[in-house]
Amino acid sequence: MADMHGLIDTLQFVFAPQIVNGLSIGVAVILMALGLTIIFGLLDVINMAHGEFYALGAYLAVSLLAAGVNFWVCLVAVPVLMLPVGYVVERALIQRVFDRKDRHVLTLLLTFGLGVVLEDAFRVVYGPNTVRVDTPIGGAAQILGMYFPNYRLFVMAVGAAIVAAVWIVVFRTSMGAIVRAAAYDRQMASSLGVPVARVYSATFAFGIGLAGLAGVLLAPIYSVFPTMGKDFILLAFTVVIVGGLGSIKGAVIAGIVLMQIQALASLYISPVWTDPLLFGVMVLVLMWRPRGLFGALGNG
Amino acid sequence: MADAGSVIEAVRRSEDSRRRSLSAFALAFVAFGVAFAAIAAARGEVFFLRLATEALIFGGLALSADILLGYAGMLSLGQALFFGLGAYVSALVLKNVLPSFWLAMLVTLLVTTLIGLIAAVIATRARGVYFALITFGLAQVVAKVVFNTPSLGASDGIIGVPVIAIDLGVGQVTAASPAAFFLFCLAFIMALYCLCAYLARTPGGRVLAAIRSNEDRVPFLGYPVTRARMLAFVLAADVAALSGALYPVLRGFVSPELLYFEVSGNAIITVIIGGMGTLIGPLYGSALIVVLKSVIGSYTAHHLIVIGSLFVLAVIFFPQGLIGAVRPSLERRFALRAAPLRR
Amino acid sequence: MRTKSVITRLVAALAIGTSAPLFAQGNPIKIGVDTPLSGTYAPIGQQVKWGLELAAKEINAAGGVLGRPLQLTYEDGEANPAVATQKAEKLFQVDKVDFLTGTVNSGATLAVGQVAERNHRLMATTVSFADSITGDKCSPNVYRVNARAGQQSIALAEWLAKAKPKARVFFLGPDYEMGRSTVAAFKAAAEAKGAVTTGEVFAPLGNKDYSPFFGQIRAAHPDVLYTSVAGNDTVRLFSQLDEYGLLKGGMQIVGASGTVTSQNMGAIRKEAEGFVTGVGYSPEIDTPENRKFVKAFEAANKAPPDLYGADSYGVLYFYKAAVEKAKTTDTDKLRTAMADLEWMTPQGMKKMRAGDHQAIQDMYVVKLTGGEFKIISKVPGVAAIGPDECKRF
Repeated sequence: MADMHGLIDTLQFVFAPQIVNGLSIGVAVILMALGLTIIFGLLDVINMAHGEFYALGAYLAVSLLAAGVNFWVCLVAVPVLMLPVGYVVERALIQRVFDRKDRHVLTLLLTFGLGVVLEDAFRVVYGPNTVRVDTPIGGAAQILGMYFPNYRLFVMAVGAAIVAAVWIVVFRTSMGAIVRAAAYDRQMASSLGVPVARVYSATFAFGIGLAGLAGVLLAPIYSVFPTMGKDFILLAFTVVIVGGLGSIKGAVIAGIVLMQIQALASLYISPVWTDPLLFGVMVLVLMWRPRGLFGALGNG
Repeated sequence: MADAGSVIEAVRRSEDSRRRSLSAFALAFVAFGVAFAAIAAARGEVFFLRLATEALIFGGLALSADILLGYAGMLSLGQALFFGLGAYVSALVLKNVLPSFWLAMLVTLLVTTLIGLIAAVIATRARGVYFALITFGLAQVVAKVVFNTPSLGASDGIIGVPVIAIDLGVGQVTAASPAAFFLFCLAFIMALYCLCAYLARTPGGRVLAAIRSNEDRVPFLGYPVTRARMLAFVLAADVAALSGALYPVLRGFVSPELLYFEVSGNAIITVIIGGMGTLIGPLYGSALIVVLKSVIGSYTAHHLIVIGSLFVLAVIFFPQGLIGAVRPSLERRFALRAAPLRR
Repeated sequence: MRTKSVITRLVAALAIGTSAPLFAQGNPIKIGVDTPLSGTYAPIGQQVKWGLELAAKEINAAGGVLGRPLQLTYEDGEANPAVATQKAEKLFQVDKVDFLTGTVNSGATLAVGQVAERNHRLMATTVSFADSITGDKCSPNVYRVNARAGQQSIALAEWLAKAKPKARVFFLGPDYEMGRSTVAAFKAAAEAKGAVTTGEVFAPLGNKDYSPFFGQIRAAHPDVLYTSVAGNDTVRLFSQLDEYGLLKGGMQIVGASGTVTSQNMGAIRKEAEGFVTGVGYSPEIDTPENRKFVKAFEAANKAPPDLYGADSYGVLYFYKAAVEKAKTTDTDKLRTAMADLEWMTPQGMKKMRAGDHQAIQDMYVVKLTGGEFKIISKVPGVAAIGPDECKRF
């Protein structure tokens, strides 16, 4: 009986908080991974600057907040502002090398260079010091004896809503069908009258908008500084690779599973070693399934 | 039949002029190096000689990135892993075992080949962007582990690597003499270059080129694709590590920063700016970037914006890089000179 | 405002200029400054620069050193040892500097120290506080004019023993060599004074989320939380502590001097209120020297000095005192002159211990009150210095 109590205590006070924390970080990683995987699924482009676009979203929010704009307005305004940025980047940079043979490599290099420039630009414009964004929802909730900040609960709810919304747009609307058609067979879609080039730009913009949204949403928790883009990028790439590049379902499932592994493993091993652990999981998955757990966007 | 013969002849001729123009670039590089060493040594420019030596060392790293990117079409975002591995192994041998250059090189080569093989098994299974992301992750993870390992000096790295004399059989070169050590590094890096250029012309190297242009078709021709990719990966790892092994000889220390993504990224930037798929281009690129950094650095602390923008422009407008911009005219001249001989 | 200060400076210069011999003449003595001017550590490099410039201006206006003016030459070391060593070589070989300072992170200080040794020149750090620099990795050519981590820990532990006797302490450090050794040093010092350890965790450097550790902290019921995280990590730690309501229960937070600094204080002014740390400097120090220094610093830079600015200001007076004692800038003679040298700084007299090249100085315990560090305790230099562990010279 005493053992039973001990077990419940362990579950409630050791494992449960860790699981919830893992979920909360998982939402952050999934938001990053979603944009990455959608852009790859359609354009075959690995966006190495994705982290920097996430940072750009956060910095735009900092500027808007400083100008007196309400946080909730920012949450909508920043992703909208990011759309034209993404559109222009796709038109001005990606499209230029899109028809070359090694476009995988070339677009990866382009976005890598863009990331280098953006990160330094943040330093020039906003300075090297960390900027805080105040939590728009204060306080914390007590759930099953666990203490949990309200804002994090909000972020998890919003994260789930965004995933659901993206899912519906891609798989249940005619717009989504056009995008998937373009991803599946470019020539075919084009000959059926789909404005493929514009679909590409719009999709890229959409992915960038998601990164910007993640930037605003997470700024109050993780604060804002020039190198913040590097924070989630390795985790996001790991999640996208394990889930299968281009797969939305894969990104979500891999995001949840990997972050749970990380959270629970950190109870037993030094947190420093959880990165190699996740990487090891990724390698094992790739050995078993070289293209990740789930198929690509076009085949979804 | 006659048609096929003339096609082969034409291909051979174009390959010939390509090879000649690249050799000319290599010879010119050595000539520039020697001339620079003579002038700098005469003027007693210790700093510039040692800076140029560092440019050569990082040129070796870029060379290794070009073996993968330019020949096998494999974009490695983690070459710093092997560069740093070489630097750490060489530093540990020189400091703790024996201050012998050749021993350090031998151990570096053995260790890197072993670790390179393990990494190759992990990484070369993946294709295209998967490969890029895996090498990226692999290097990040190893850098983090080194940063946290007290026996490797953790975040501070290892200082106190002795200044050594390199035994050349006929005499000695001491790392304390800037001009002599620069010339030694020039010879060392050019030897690596020649080895790579030679291997690229062997059948194995041609398989790589074939993989780059059409990976799916090569296996049908009976060539073992995976093995060729693995060999290229290990070769690139060894070249990166041997270049890295020179670093502690020059600077007397190693630190985890040598394994960071900035170093890998810089190697790719160097390859693109110098000329992808030329092997000699990365060495020119490295020299150019060192000059650019010090020139821009004296105007602004934000040299990354400038270098990053140049890189983006180079990818869009000069995907063939510095060498590619100069080569066509050179090749035409070689072709003209070669043509009359054949007739 | 700016024009006015330029005019006052001009007038001052002219006034001094009339008493001719006071004006520094002759070959300048060159001081190389190898400090991060870009990247994450740039704000610290800024303080280093401000401190040095103020001291050089004052020294030159008062006749220089041995009648020679000091001339500062800057290079951006980027807080990366691989870059900092290259820049140090440039300063020694091309600019022919006589003395070098400005390195910030310990990796750069150690590697640049080796460059100084191989170029047979001297250098001093004014920022790095890793004990190893004047401990097991000491160098005959490297000096440290600022307080090291050990001095800070001893001062803080002394205060803790008086303010909260037998306190239950929880330790949270960044998981890398420096973070672990800082925690270990404070733990030893605090336990020797009767504190009880209730737990310790190490989070990765650049950790995103500290909330996974909060369960352990809550369960341990500590009176005091000691942390040695720094920079962006501090901002995240404090804002997440706040988010999870851990700042409300009356738990005292103490930490390393690099945990809350003028660089990250702006972001966590409210959350870090009440934070206590041991330091070698505070603008609050109430001596005529410091009041004068703070006034001049604020007039010149429109910002208050922090410990980095003050120690960088002090290093030029250290060098001046040594050169005047040796009557030359020759390396070996200077080293002899620097042994047990005493010199005046904004913090009062400092003494350069000959055995390990570590400055001995009074230490202060400061508490963040209303966005400013207020002195709450002082520990005499000899009590805080700790043993000489350098075996190389």
